[in-house]
Amino acid sequence: MFEEFLEDIAQKNGLRQINTYLKLAGGTGAILLCLLSSSYIAPLFIAVLLTFGILFLARVDAKTYAGLFIYPFWFALMSVAGLILIYGGGTVFWSWHPTVWLSLSITRESINQGFFVFSRIIGGMSAVCFIALTTPMTDIFVVMRRCRVPGFVIDLAMIIYRTIFILMDQVRQIYYAQVMRLGYSTWRESIHSFAAMCGAAFIASWDAGDDLIRAMDARCYDGKFALLGENRPVEMRPFLALCAFLLAASAVVFASQGMTLL
Amino acid sequence: MHIMEGYLSLQWCIVWWLFALPCLAYGVLHLKKVMDADREALPLLGVTGGFIFLLSSLKLPTPFGSSSHPTGTGLSAICFGPWITSVVCAIVLLFQALFLAHGGLSTLGANTVSMGIIGPLVGYTMYRLLKNTSVSMYTTVFLVTAFADLSTYVVTSFQLALGAVHPATGNVVSSFIVFLGIFAITQIPIAIVEGIVLALVFKYIVQLKPDILIHLNIFSEETINAARREADGP
Repeated sequence: MFEEFLEDIAQKNGLRQINTYLKLAGGTGAILLCLLSSSYIAPLFIAVLLTFGILFLARVDAKTYAGLFIYPFWFALMSVAGLILIYGGGTVFWSWHPTVWLSLSITRESINQGFFVFSRIIGGMSAVCFIALTTPMTDIFVVMRRCRVPGFVIDLAMIIYRTIFILMDQVRQIYYAQVMRLGYSTWRESIHSFAAMCGAAFIASWDAGDDLIRAMDARCYDGKFALLGENRPVEMRPFLALCAFLLAASAVVFASQGMTLL
Repeated sequence: MHIMEGYLSLQWCIVWWLFALPCLAYGVLHLKKVMDADREALPLLGVTGGFIFLLSSLKLPTPFGSSSHPTGTGLSAICFGPWITSVVCAIVLLFQALFLAHGGLSTLGANTVSMGIIGPLVGYTMYRLLKNTSVSMYTTVFLVTAFADLSTYVVTSFQLALGAVHPATGNVVSSFIVFLGIFAITQIPIAIVEGIVLALVFKYIVQLKPDILIHLNIFSEETINAARREADGP
């Protein structure tokens, strides 16, 4: 529950000063190329390049990045196992039909598809991690405003963003206090303690939100949060690096079309 | 829930985005009306969003590229209806993808449909059916929350099943049963616990800030007074 937000890392990463649009173009371009690829090679190639960027350019701690990948990697492995049993198609190596409604089999196509989806998840997750670890949410709010997302939606997003941190702080304090008083010693006690924590944190955060609105009203808030909108200029080297990355990834997507594991 | 980045193919990502976008646009119109009419709703909207973020971050791994966790959308569906909840959920899902690498960006449409649209819609329908009956407020909240949660997982299972079958020879029904069966192990207990927790959260709201429930016309004054008497005990 109290894991470190990627936002904290993004605020001090090595690519913090790079233009936000370049970083978003890199991340979203990589996601799109992973989805357009029909082979497992291109997503893995993209994952390797983005991991290099995250570790050596953004200078994110390797241990943190590896820890971040444990869940997706575990999910991806289980996905592959499940897909291989469900997918079907092609030469059948093994099959089991316990009921009319349920049939499981391992086939040539299912193994290929399982490995392909596995590599797509790894490529896609590395692209999401690249955006998350290099672009703070505050920069994304500025991009949302430039993209003409309605102001009140951005305001709501900013209020939720603020409330998440208030809630986490409240929950952390209440949780430790409850643990000190053996609030989680039995299952029944845990349910009551958890509900009490949620209720108390909910009310306290709500009050904090009310205070925030009152404070903003006192400072002439007119229903629109001020955003500084600072964005670093597009520099030549990052721009060329982005173009090189997208071109190389596109070339691999094109060259590896249709390649399968078996 | 929260289908991870890369799990769905481009075609399915587009299909679920096309489903989600009109609902989100309708939700944005509703949101504007609420925010124009009542500025006091903004902190409550923020805290319901934060609450969804918090509860749906408590994830348990399940096979097939997803995870089990409470959704927390019942509270928002009761307070603001399903359409505004869809906008709040889309924002929360974006934050979760970028703060915790939980979910994804291409799968945001699919995740919004299951957790932000269908789940709250089912929960809200249940709330409207039970609102003016003799069913107590706490039972109503429990049922709304549990059903919103379970229906989210039924939709996620369907989305995963559609994305995981061979286009020519695949059996969607078989795949759907596998996903439902796997989710049921973790999700039915989670939905029950979430229902109990949300009912207890409402107990705190009734005791400490009942005026907002009346102000937003969530429950009638009589229902809230009855709930307060029930909470205070004999």
